[in-house]
Amino acid sequence: MTTRDPAQAAVQAREPGAAGPVRLPAIRVRTEPTEVAAFSRETFAAGTGDFVPLTFPFRWLTLPPIRALIVQLSGGEEFLPVHEAQSFVYERSLRTGADYVLDIAIETSEAPPRLTLKMTVAALQGEICARLETILRIVRLKGETLS
Amino acid sequence: MTEAGYAPPPDWPSAGDEIGAQNFGPFGHDALIRYAAVSGDDNPLHLDPAAARAAGLAGPPVHGMLMLACFEPLIMRWRQDLFIARLSAKFLRPVLVEEGIRVLGRVLRSRGAPRPELMLRLTARGPGDALVILAEAEVLYRTS
Repeated sequence: MTTRDPAQAAVQAREPGAAGPVRLPAIRVRTEPTEVAAFSRETFAAGTGDFVPLTFPFRWLTLPPIRALIVQLSGGEEFLPVHEAQSFVYERSLRTGADYVLDIAIETSEAPPRLTLKMTVAALQGEICARLETILRIVRLKGETLS
Repeated sequence: MTEAGYAPPPDWPSAGDEIGAQNFGPFGHDALIRYAAVSGDDNPLHLDPAAARAAGLAGPPVHGMLMLACFEPLIMRWRQDLFIARLSAKFLRPVLVEEGIRVLGRVLRSRGAPRPELMLRLTARGPGDALVILAEAEVLYRTS
């Protein structure tokens, strides 16, 4: 069976019953200057230097293939991921107006249900610039209709 | 960017030095909408009171990452000669829309060699001085 949905494909690519993370194909991203500037404004970073804010790469976790995989591994739309912990490790600063490649792996765990996302941000030449780890606790909604 | 130099400046901080507190917020509904737009995190939990209620909260919580982002300006306004090599945090309790936070820090450990680096304890406190984020950062001396 083939699919064009990267999240579905990533889950299907895992051996049945296999433990370990689900890995997405590499994703190419760019630190668009206008997006960096808008992010800096809203996170109080404007005026503290000409750089990509440290937490800026977190926004890439909301890209459609990653978001779809999070929803799928969370159990569906009746569950909400709640941010429990976050870390960033930087080897070098990101530059504005540059292209990067993301490597994403998501691991599930139980009791309580959690997702652990590990993302590396690498330059096109392959040098790793940053590593992120995000821990999401999965909460079941109480049945109230969302607007 | 030069990530780190090898000799600390004369005013290199010492263990126990404080990073003065800064207030951020209160974060209104509009601020959460704007952050959702620039970050892509449009989780309805943060934007929709019904979703917040369904998750057992009295109101939409401020994005944890919006609050975590406040540590970078805290550090960089304290000293501009630093490179933040690591920041890790735990989100301990929510801060709800229309509430604000106070962030502050302290030097846990200071080293001058082999490269100047600091270990910082960072906290964000919400209404009632409740601890909402407990974080740690490793920062290096940046020469340019």
